[in-house]
Amino acid sequence: MNEEYLWDKSGEPDPEVQELEEILAPLRYQPKPLELPAPRRNNYLLWAIAASLLIALMAGSLWLKFRSQQPVQQEQAKSFPSVPSVFKEQPKNTDPPKTNPPRKRNRKSINQREHEEALAAKQQVMLALRLASEKLKLAQRRTQAPSPNQIKNQHRVG
Amino acid sequence: MKLLFQKLLIAGLLLVAPICAAQTQDPRIKTGSLDHLATKASQTVDVNIDERLIRMASRLLSEKNADEKDVKQLIAGIKGIYVRSFQFENDGQYSPADVESIRSQLRGPSWTKMVNVTSKKDGSLEVYILLQGEQIGGLAVISSDDREFTVVNIVGPVDIDKLSKLEGQLGVPELGIESTKPKAKNNE
Repeated sequence: MNEEYLWDKSGEPDPEVQELEEILAPLRYQPKPLELPAPRRNNYLLWAIAASLLIALMAGSLWLKFRSQQPVQQEQAKSFPSVPSVFKEQPKNTDPPKTNPPRKRNRKSINQREHEEALAAKQQVMLALRLASEKLKLAQRRTQAPSPNQIKNQHRVG
Repeated sequence: MKLLFQKLLIAGLLLVAPICAAQTQDPRIKTGSLDHLATKASQTVDVNIDERLIRMASRLLSEKNADEKDVKQLIAGIKGIYVRSFQFENDGQYSPADVESIRSQLRGPSWTKMVNVTSKKDGSLEVYILLQGEQIGGLAVISSDDREFTVVNIVGPVDIDKLSKLEGQLGVPELGIESTKPKAKNNE
């Protein structure tokens, strides 16, 4: 047996060794890049984005709600002078007495202002309800009104 | 950590859902698009009363006076009353787009058109109610004819029967809205 072949594959190979080599050939080391197991996907970033979007949505909804309420208050301030003077009651004793000391007068004027505001609000409520009532009654009348043909027939009979 | 995020997300959704729902079913009609009509109108009625002012007005309504007592009861649960009414001296001062800007807000699933009367002579009259469960949560009336355009919006539970019976009881001078048209034919 040529031992040189076993050491450095030089010289004449032994048939048995050659046969063994062929049998074990598929199991021979084959160089290929190292394949590491895929790292577990981290979803924290996605969740963080979703949470941020949600917070933004919440903030947006609250802002919209707040904004929709704000113009109403501004409109109120605007709307008071637009009430026709016909519908405004003249408040009785609205002017504070001139003889009152400044402190009392100040307190009283606040109450007076509240009273005037309430009075104006009452007038506006009355006006609005009257209009609404009038329109509803008109709708009622129009829906219940007989057709022109019916009126014609009644006229003929009468 | 992931579970915590999921819980937070679900809690957030539960919080946002009612806000979004409330936003979509707002019984308050926006009438800002009609502002430009004020310059053309010969008479304008602009009423904006929120809940605070209604409570203030309610305090001045007497329990002893039968009419005022009725009004007090009627406005007890109401959260807002808004009216825009324009009277014009000439025909065609407002456009169908103006009416549509209001009507489009009432097309949602919550609003129900209760009455719709249209005639060439008397114009159009639409009554909408906002149903919240079995209760009325709001009322809207759009009235339009050649020389008048009125939008009435009541927010909150309103007794329509009671409201329609109030006419003439409120001690407020007649508005004369119906009598703006010439009545020459009637006199003949």
